[in-house]
Amino acid sequence: MTSRLRAVLRALEVAFASLVILGVVWVLVALAIDRPTTYDDIEEHFKYGSIGSEPGGSVLQTVGGVLPPYWIFKSLPSICSDKLPRGYETFGFITEPGKDLPIGVSRRRRLGGDQVGLNCAVCHTSTVRDAPGAAPRIVLGMPAHRLDLQGFVQFVLDCTLDSRLTPDAIRGRLPDRGGPSLFERALLRLGLVDRLKITVLNLRNRIAPALAAELPRWGRGRVDTFNPYKSIQFNWDLSKLPPGELIGASDFPSIWNQKPREGMHLHWDGDNDSVDERNLSAALGAGVTPVTVDHDNLKRVRDWIWTLPPPKYPYAIDGALASRGEPVYQKLCTNCHGDHRFRDGVITGSQIGRVVPLTEIGTDPYRLNSYTVAFAANQYSLYPDSEYRFSHFRKTNGYANHPLDGIWLRAPYLHNGSVPTLRDLLEPPERRPKVFYRGYDVFDQANVGFVSDGPEAQGYSRYDTSLPGNGNGGHVYGATLPEEDKRAIVEYLKTF
Amino acid sequence: MTWFTSTRPPRVAIVVLLLVAAASFFAYHRLLREEPAPYFESAEDHFLYGSIGTEADRGLPYWIWLVLPRVFPEYLPRPGGYASLGVLARDGQEMPIGLSKVTIGVPRVGINCAMCHTASVRASRGDVPVIYPGAPAHQTGAQEYKRFLIACAADPRFTAGTILGEIAKNVRLSLLDRLLYRFAIIPGTRRALLRLRDDDVPLTRRPDSGRGRADVFNPVKFTILGQPIDETIGSADMMPTWNLARAERTSFHWDGLNTSLREAVASSAVNEGATVWWLDRDAVKWDRTEAGRQSSLRRVMEYISALKPPKYPFPIDAKLSAAGAVTFASACARCHGAGGNQTGSVIPFDEVGTDRSRLDAWTSGAADKYNAYGDRHDWKFSGFRETNGYLAAPLEGTWLTAPYLHNGSVPTLTDLLEPPESRPRRFWRGYDVYDPARVGFESAGEDAERAGTVFDVTQPGNGNAGHTYGVTLTPGEKRALLEYLKTL
Repeated sequence: MTSRLRAVLRALEVAFASLVILGVVWVLVALAIDRPTTYDDIEEHFKYGSIGSEPGGSVLQTVGGVLPPYWIFKSLPSICSDKLPRGYETFGFITEPGKDLPIGVSRRRRLGGDQVGLNCAVCHTSTVRDAPGAAPRIVLGMPAHRLDLQGFVQFVLDCTLDSRLTPDAIRGRLPDRGGPSLFERALLRLGLVDRLKITVLNLRNRIAPALAAELPRWGRGRVDTFNPYKSIQFNWDLSKLPPGELIGASDFPSIWNQKPREGMHLHWDGDNDSVDERNLSAALGAGVTPVTVDHDNLKRVRDWIWTLPPPKYPYAIDGALASRGEPVYQKLCTNCHGDHRFRDGVITGSQIGRVVPLTEIGTDPYRLNSYTVAFAANQYSLYPDSEYRFSHFRKTNGYANHPLDGIWLRAPYLHNGSVPTLRDLLEPPERRPKVFYRGYDVFDQANVGFVSDGPEAQGYSRYDTSLPGNGNGGHVYGATLPEEDKRAIVEYLKTF
Repeated sequence: MTWFTSTRPPRVAIVVLLLVAAASFFAYHRLLREEPAPYFESAEDHFLYGSIGTEADRGLPYWIWLVLPRVFPEYLPRPGGYASLGVLARDGQEMPIGLSKVTIGVPRVGINCAMCHTASVRASRGDVPVIYPGAPAHQTGAQEYKRFLIACAADPRFTAGTILGEIAKNVRLSLLDRLLYRFAIIPGTRRALLRLRDDDVPLTRRPDSGRGRADVFNPVKFTILGQPIDETIGSADMMPTWNLARAERTSFHWDGLNTSLREAVASSAVNEGATVWWLDRDAVKWDRTEAGRQSSLRRVMEYISALKPPKYPFPIDAKLSAAGAVTFASACARCHGAGGNQTGSVIPFDEVGTDRSRLDAWTSGAADKYNAYGDRHDWKFSGFRETNGYLAAPLEGTWLTAPYLHNGSVPTLTDLLEPPESRPRRFWRGYDVYDPARVGFESAGEDAERAGTVFDVTQPGNGNAGHTYGVTLTPGEKRALLEYLKTL
């Protein structure tokens, strides 16, 4: 061997070793990066910021997250276009002009790639329109009454597992410029899709009983808060729960004006009296885990909704009628619900924020029964070994009295959203609508609520009050008042 | 230069020494170092969550304990984690009732008294349960809890990869901790649980204890007392632990096998795994009174001495119960009334006639051994003995001690006043909805079957015969007597 050849070989060796070292460093750095897309403006942060619900841990064993990586998420609607004719908007997602992702979907670089997650806005932002032809007005913090979360989750799971979702199909849909990084392309080649399918299959198997066809659908504007949680966090075998426990769909709430709510019994059944713990629990529902949660970003949202004012009723109010309604309301409703001053933090009524036993309130029992003593016991170990560990959850025996700030935007009413308008709620149960439609955003000023029937509304979720969990009985307060008083109360409620 | 070269080997040695020292310190820190057990200010919380020294020997590393129900849900009777075994939780406490958490190297989970001596009661299915510390844990499957852990360890998926993967969903452990769990703590825990399985094998040949019962002494008898393995069945109802200082409480356990409350408490801790050196340390603290430095067992003892039996929480017909008081005085008070001349004494088997398995499970040989167990220690036992019958306990909080008789073979007081052949032959134990009409817990029906374990009186040790006192009373007298028993 000549010395020259030896020198070349030595140089090659060094070059090769350097490349390997560089490669390892590159992989380690790429995997270690955890960087959310950030927004200085708090409203933008609320709509698009990350609370840490994107998957973390390691590529081989991801922790948390329900959505696939960014580039796959973007390609799902086109790969499974037969299941999703109008993209994610089919499920009631709101996409603002010029935005890359819908409201409620965040982006974060984790595990070497761009990931997406859900944030608070997905369930707590929606739109209102004055008339069928009018432009939608986006309202932050209101219940996402248009969102079909169950349909969305099912679509993402099904399409991720669809045989048409292949690395080639994803690559074919990448943009020419600004596509994924070299590292992500490498992951795509190295079995990312297969691992994703295994993770998603596991997730789908876990939550399938809660999404089963024989259960009433959540429909637009509702979510089964705790059943998917039982399987995702604790790996309970949902198929072995007692009959009925798997029916727990209830309305999304508004999340404005949280400060005066601290210490009140929150959630529909009043199972928690800490705003912060309730927030962290809701974050679990969006896909965070105790190890992937972004406490700083969540706190920004928390501080903002602490004092976020409820939107004022934008249409005309008959002042004289509202004034006539006020004393009737004060006599009949204030004790449990407070009055119009709650929006300014004034708490009236001795029973506000307390739980009324089911035997007294008489509304549908399913949501209450889906939250069990055993479940609360398990929750106490969430966020373990930290200042955030859950300790405020309690099993209750009824539903909580909630303050009514911004109530005009919180239709349909009752915990399960079984009564479309405030005016309907003041009727005895047998005279409330038996079947109506949820998810149409045109406002009904006469009855206060959204238009819930007619050709346009019928394009959305059909709500049948005869299904289990959908009962519209109970809460008969005010049902025997004269028509004049009912109209007056409704008018007064517009000032909340 | 010579100085430099001559010290070179020692330098390497120093580095090695330092590394070994650091590794040893880490190993000590994570495997042996014991932090003071968490202090609970209230005596009740100490009873429910405090340590009685069972963590060092039998304690399960907390993170493993936390994830086992999530990794192996199929070994639990139904969804619900440990709660599905009737293990209770309350007030947002991190640990369930009856399980203590102490750091010995790593945080570990042990058992305490409340595991078997705290009850849950609901008025109806939709009701929020009321927790009664000190009451028999009629809903808890203590044997099921142990066997769940054993089943997990026996499963080939009990591997570092699986368990660390699940732990990673809850907490970020440091790299060193992960290595320690992977190579020492997880395999070590598995081995310890498999040893527990070996000890449990002879017991698996007997009928399961089921909810609210335990065979407390046989496991101790065959292990630390070194008695030959026999076929006796020691399963008995968990007992109420209240008012234990009252005059008639002169002996403890169903057959009165010990005559000292302090020994009954300390030996119960031994039965659950408290170590000799922990008992030594606790005995040293016996007379201390400063908060956080008292003897744990003494706090427990004083708590259960002073604890009052809970009042019956449902309506009572005062007129009827007054009539029942007369019947009680004539038919029951001699053995069960305050100041009755037999109250608190052992009634010979020939007289009471209830199932004798539990009596036969404890022998004078075992008693002698237990009395010798603490030789040369401050807490040495001397009150163990063999008796010839079952204790006539003073009746208090009786409504909450269902099912009845020492083996819990009769679901309600109504059934107990029937002749044995008319008592239920098959029922479910462990459901916490109360039945005020029959005075006991609901023991049949879909919900009771889902929540509990079946009890079959034809199984060995489960006989429901004997104690036929009162069965010949008229129906009216029985109704009145039942009403009066609610007031006790």
